[in-house]
Amino acid sequence: MARYAMVTDLRKCVACQACTVACNAEWDVPAGYARTRVRTTPITGTFPHLASSIYVAQCNQCDRPPCVEACPSGATSQHDNGIVGVDKSLCIGCGFCLEACPYDARYINPATKKVDKCDFCVSRLERGAEPACVITCTAHAKYFGDLEDRQSDVFKMVYAHGARRLETSTIRVGPNVYYAGEHASTDLVLAAFPPRPPRLLAAGQAWSRVLRPLVLAAAGATFLGQAVAFFNQLRNGEKDFED
Amino acid sequence: MDNNVSRRQFLGTIAAAGAGTAAAATVASAQSHPPGWSGTQRVEKIATTCEMCFWRCGVLASVADGKVIRLEGNPDHPLTKGRLCARGNAGTRLLYDPDRLKYPLLRTGKRGDGQFKRISWNEALDFLASKLKALAAEHGPESVAFFPHGLSARFFSTLMKAYGTPNSAEPSFAQCRGPREVGYTLTFGRELGSPEPLDLEESKLIVLIGSHLGENVFTSQITAFATALSRGAKVIAVDPRFSIAASKADWWLPIRPGTDIALLLAWMHVLIGEDLCDKEYIARYAQGFKELEAHVREFTPEWAAAITELPAAQIRETARAMGTAKPAVLVHPGRHVTWYGDDTQRARAMAILTALLGSWGRKGGIFLPTPIPRGAFELPDFPESPRGRADGAGTRFPLASEELGVTNGLVDATVTAQPYPIKAWIVYGQNVLESIPEPQKTRKAIEALDLMVVVDVLPVEQINYADLVLPEATYLERYDSPSIVTTAKQPFVSVRQPACEPLYESKPGWWIAREMARRMGLEAWFPWHTPEEHLAQIIAPMEISAEELRNRGALAFPGRPYLDDQASDAESPVRTGSGKIELYSQELKDLGADPLPRYTPVEDPPAGYFRLIYGRSPVHSFARTQNNEALNALMPDNEVWLSTRSAKDLGLRDGERVTLENTDGVKSLPVRVKVTEGIRRDCVYLVHGFGQGSKGLHLAFRRGASDNALMTHVKVDPLMGGTGMRGTFVRPVKDPTAH
Amino acid sequence: MRTDAIPVDPLPLTAEQAESMLQRQVKKHHIAIILLHWFNAIVWFFELLTGLALISSPLFRVAPRWYISIVDGVFGTRANMLQFHVALGLLWIGVYLVYAIFGFRTYLSKEVIRNEIALDLDDYRWLVVRTRRILGLTREALPPQGIYNAGQKLFAFMVYAMIPLVMVTGVVMAFRLFGTQVVGWAVVLHFCAVGAVVCGLLVHVYMGAVFPEEKPAFFSMITGTVNELYAYRHHFKWWTVIKAEEQAWNQQHANEAVAPAETARPGSSSADREPGCPG
Repeated sequence: MARYAMVTDLRKCVACQACTVACNAEWDVPAGYARTRVRTTPITGTFPHLASSIYVAQCNQCDRPPCVEACPSGATSQHDNGIVGVDKSLCIGCGFCLEACPYDARYINPATKKVDKCDFCVSRLERGAEPACVITCTAHAKYFGDLEDRQSDVFKMVYAHGARRLETSTIRVGPNVYYAGEHASTDLVLAAFPPRPPRLLAAGQAWSRVLRPLVLAAAGATFLGQAVAFFNQLRNGEKDFED
Repeated sequence: MDNNVSRRQFLGTIAAAGAGTAAAATVASAQSHPPGWSGTQRVEKIATTCEMCFWRCGVLASVADGKVIRLEGNPDHPLTKGRLCARGNAGTRLLYDPDRLKYPLLRTGKRGDGQFKRISWNEALDFLASKLKALAAEHGPESVAFFPHGLSARFFSTLMKAYGTPNSAEPSFAQCRGPREVGYTLTFGRELGSPEPLDLEESKLIVLIGSHLGENVFTSQITAFATALSRGAKVIAVDPRFSIAASKADWWLPIRPGTDIALLLAWMHVLIGEDLCDKEYIARYAQGFKELEAHVREFTPEWAAAITELPAAQIRETARAMGTAKPAVLVHPGRHVTWYGDDTQRARAMAILTALLGSWGRKGGIFLPTPIPRGAFELPDFPESPRGRADGAGTRFPLASEELGVTNGLVDATVTAQPYPIKAWIVYGQNVLESIPEPQKTRKAIEALDLMVVVDVLPVEQINYADLVLPEATYLERYDSPSIVTTAKQPFVSVRQPACEPLYESKPGWWIAREMARRMGLEAWFPWHTPEEHLAQIIAPMEISAEELRNRGALAFPGRPYLDDQASDAESPVRTGSGKIELYSQELKDLGADPLPRYTPVEDPPAGYFRLIYGRSPVHSFARTQNNEALNALMPDNEVWLSTRSAKDLGLRDGERVTLENTDGVKSLPVRVKVTEGIRRDCVYLVHGFGQGSKGLHLAFRRGASDNALMTHVKVDPLMGGTGMRGTFVRPVKDPTAH
Repeated sequence: MRTDAIPVDPLPLTAEQAESMLQRQVKKHHIAIILLHWFNAIVWFFELLTGLALISSPLFRVAPRWYISIVDGVFGTRANMLQFHVALGLLWIGVYLVYAIFGFRTYLSKEVIRNEIALDLDDYRWLVVRTRRILGLTREALPPQGIYNAGQKLFAFMVYAMIPLVMVTGVVMAFRLFGTQVVGWAVVLHFCAVGAVVCGLLVHVYMGAVFPEEKPAFFSMITGTVNELYAYRHHFKWWTVIKAEEQAWNQQHANEAVAPAETARPGSSSADREPGCPG
C-alpha cells in the first residue's frame, strides 16, 4: 500500500500560477473555479518590516477526511493509497462534502452540477506520470511521492526536514499536503488561511441530530408495536376470520 | 368495458416503463470529457516552442484529431527542461480564442472607426503590394516604417529590407532592454541578449535592482532562482514595492525611486574603500580602476542614504555581503530597464559593480555565450537607402541598436516628417498603442499616415486605425525561424513547427512574406519554397538531424560559459576595443557623456501626486493575454497599490474604485485600490497591460486601468533613445460612477 | 338477509346467514388498482433495498454495514446501484403520472376522498378502541367502518402525502436541480418521507400478510373481491351501501320486465367506476 502526499517548498514557490493553469487545463475546470489555488498571504507588519508568504492549496487527501463521512451516496471515498476520490457517477451534487471540508478544497461544476476536486491526478498516476502541477512547477517547488517509501523526497522532507501540515489545535484531520520552509512562512499561511471547522448544511445537521434518530425511533416503535400485537395475537388466539 | 379500461391502463404502464428506461439511460451516460476528445482518440505529441512571451520555452502539444487538447513543458528542452509557466499552459486558449482575427480585412469607414469588410488573401496582398510599390515610387521605400516583434516577423523583416527601407524598430530595445545592452556592451564589449546569461543557480548572493523576478516569470530563470534559494543563496531586493522577490529577500531596500545610481555608487565606494573587490580579476581583465576609485570617493553611504532614503548602515551591510560572497554574486541586470532617461548610465553602474565583484564570466555571475554555427541563404545585398534611417539610431541616438531600432524615434519622425516624411506603417506582432509610451503621439502619427497595415493574431485596439488587417496564425499553427540560443550554459536550437492546421484563414509569417515577395519581384531574397527547406538550411552547419530536431523539439550543444572554459588562443572574451573591461568608458567621454556613472536627481511628483510604477503579473504577458479565458479567469483586471498611510490621508478604502489622473489631466479607466503596507508612500503601482480599448476583445475590453495611457510624457535617454517611463505622476480620484 | 331493510348497526348473524355471506364475493378493488398496488410494492421493495444500501456514509447511514456490503456485491459497482435506483424511481413516477393524468377524476374525486380517506367520528373511535385491543387492554367491539377502516385511511393519507415528496425530492437529487441548498434538503426530506412510509408499511404489511383476520383483505388485492361476510364484519358501512345498491338494482330489474336498458351497475366503490362515467 502507499500513502501519497505532496510537499510544497515555500522557499522556492513564487506564486507563478503555472500549477493552477496546468491543473485547470488538464481537468477542464470551468473558468472561475479551481481544483488548486495559489494565493499570497496579506502583507503583515509595518513598513519597512514586512512579511508575506504563499499558500498553495488543494485537496489534502486527509488521513481522516470529513468529506467522506458527509457524503450520503458514498460518491466520495478514500482509496487504499490515501487519495480521496469522487465517483462522478454517484455524485448527486448535494454539497454536503463542500461544507465538510476544512480547507474548502472542493467546488461544484456549474455545468455538470457535480463535485470536483484535486485527486492527485490519479489517472495520470496510473499511466506512470506525475501530477500536472508538479511537473510544470517553474520553481521545482512541488514534490509528490509515497510517504511510506523511505527513499522518496516527500518522506525526507516530512520526516527528516520537518515539513509542516496546516493544522490547528482544533482541526487535525491529517492533511497530506505538507509545506516546507521556515516556520515563519507557514505560520503566516496558517494565520491567513486557517482550516475551518467542518460544517454540515443545515439539512445534514437536521438529519444527523434530529431526524435520523426520530425516523429510527418511529420505525423501531412501530415494529415493537407490531411485535406486541403479534405476541398478543398468539397469546389470546385472535379469532381467525372464519370463526 | 372493464377489460378495455384495464387494457388502456396496461398500455399506459408499458409506455411509462419505456420512458423511465430512456430517462435512466440519459442519467447514466452523463460523463464529462475534455472538449474535442472522446477519450479514445490517439494522441500525438508535437514538440515546438512557445511564444506566449519571449522566453520561448520548449512545449509539447498533445494533438488529437487535429485539435490541440493540452500543452505541457518539453522535458527535452535544454533550458526549461519540461517546465512551463501559467501563460504557456494557457496557449490553447489563444489558439481557440473566439475573438481571434479570422480573415483579411479592408477598412471601409473612417480611420479609427474600426469598420471593415472581409477580403480574400489575394486581394489583400495585391492591395498591399501595389501600395508599397506606389509609395516606393513616390516617396522612396524608406517612407515605410516597419514595427516587427517575435520570431514570425523575421521573414517579413527580410522582405522589408529587400524592399529597401532601413526603418524598422521593435520595442524590445527602446522600451525594454536597450539601456542594459548598451551599458554592458560599453563595459564588456558584449551585450547580454535574451535569454540573459545569468548563472543564478550557482549564485551565493543575488542582487535585484528593481527586478521583480517571481512576478516577472521566465520559466528557467525562476527554476534557477528557486534552486539558488534552496541552496541558501541570499537575496538583496532593491524595490520601492514589497514584491514576491522582496518577501524572500534577506534585505529589502525600499529605495526612493530614481536614486538607484546613488546606491550603486555608494556600494562601489564601500567595496573599493574596504578592499572587498576582486583585485586579481580586475587586474587581469579590467582597466580604469584608478579613475573609478577617485570618482566614487565622495559617494559615501551617508551621502547615498540621504538621497535614497535607505539607512547608511544597510547600504554598508549589503555592500559587505556582496564583497564577502564574491565572485558568485549575481547583480541581476534587469530586463525592462527604461525608467528615467539616464538608464544607460545606471546599466553602466551595474556592469561596473559586476566587474568589481569579479562575477562577469564566472560561476554564479554572468556567464558567457557560446556561439552556434548558423546557416544562411545566399542572398543579394539589401539595397542601401541614401537618406539613411529616420529613427535616430546611430545618429541622434549614437549608441542605439541599428538592428533593433528606436520605435519612438519612428513615431517622432512620422509626426514631424523629419528627417523625411514617413507615409506608411506596417505593424507586425507589435501593439504600438500599448508598448510605446506617449500614445497620444502615436495616435497623431497614425493619423498622418497614408497607409497603416497591421498583422496580428488578436483584434487589439490598433487595428481600428489600420487600412489593412492580416490575420496571422498563432505559434501553435506555424513554422517560424528556429530559436537559436547561445546565451545558455548549454546553447541550443529549438524548433517551432505547427501542432495543427491554421484556423479560419490565418496564415503563417513565412507564407505572408513569400507571397508578398512574389508580388513585389523580391523572390531573390526568398530562395526557399517550404519552411522545412528554410529550417534545413539554417541548421545545416550545426551537423544535427532535422528529423531528430523535430522529434525532440530542441537539441543542445556543449557550452563554454565561464572565462576559464575559453580556449587560451581564442580572442579575448572581453570584446571592447581595448580588450579589457572598461570601468572607465572613453567611448562615452568621446560622445560628451559621463565616462563614469553619476547620480542625477529625477523629477519628484508634485504635491498630491504619486509616481506611477508598473510591472508584470505571472499570469499575463504585457497586453497580449488579457483576453485569454484561462488567464483572464485568474486576473481579469489590475489594481492600484497604494500605501496604507496615503489611503488613510485620502480617505480611500481597500477595494474602492478610483480613476488615476495624471498631471496632464488624462484619466484612466476605473480601477480598484489595493491598500497595503507593501509600497512606499510616494508611489503607486499597476500591472501593465490592462484598460484595453478594443471592443473585439470581449474579455479584456475596459477591464482595469492602462499604465501606458497615462504615460503622456517620457524622458528619452540621449545615448540610445530609450523612453524613461517612470516619470508619470498620478493622483487617485474617487470614481463617481462606482457604487 | 331477507328483509328489505338494511340494518343500521351490524347485528349478529345466524350461522346460515354467515355461511351464505361467506360464499358470496363482493367486488372491492378494480384491476387497475390491483396492478398499481403490486407495482408499487415491487418498486418499493427494490427501491428500499437499493436505497438503504446507497446511503452509506456514517453521518447518513440507517442500514448496517454488512447489509450495504452485500448489496454492493450484488450490483458490482455503486454507480450501477444508483442508476438502477434512479431508473426504477423514474419508471415509478412515470406510471403514477399516467394514472394521474388519466384517472385523477376517478381516484381523487370528492366522493372518493370522503369515503376512502377522510376520517369520521366512527373512525376516530375505532382508532382508540383498536389500539387498546392491540395492547390487550380491552375486548370492546370496534365501531362500524366504511370501505377502508381508519387505520387504512390514515395509511392512505400519509402515503398520498409522502409519495409526491419522495418523487419530487428524488428527481431533484437525480438531476441535481436548483443548487446545493435545495439538493441538500431534498436528500434529507427524501429519507424522512421514506422513513414515514416505512413505518406505515410495517403496519400495513403485518396487517395484510400476518394478521389472520385480514386474510380476505390480502386476497382481495389479488382477486379484487372479498367475501360478503368479511365486508359485513369489518366494513359494515360499505356493506350497507352495497346492499342498498343491490336492492335498487333488483328493484329496477323487477320493474322493467321486458325493456332492456342501460342501468347503473351494482357496486358503488370507485374501483368499479369507469373514468368519467357519471353515477
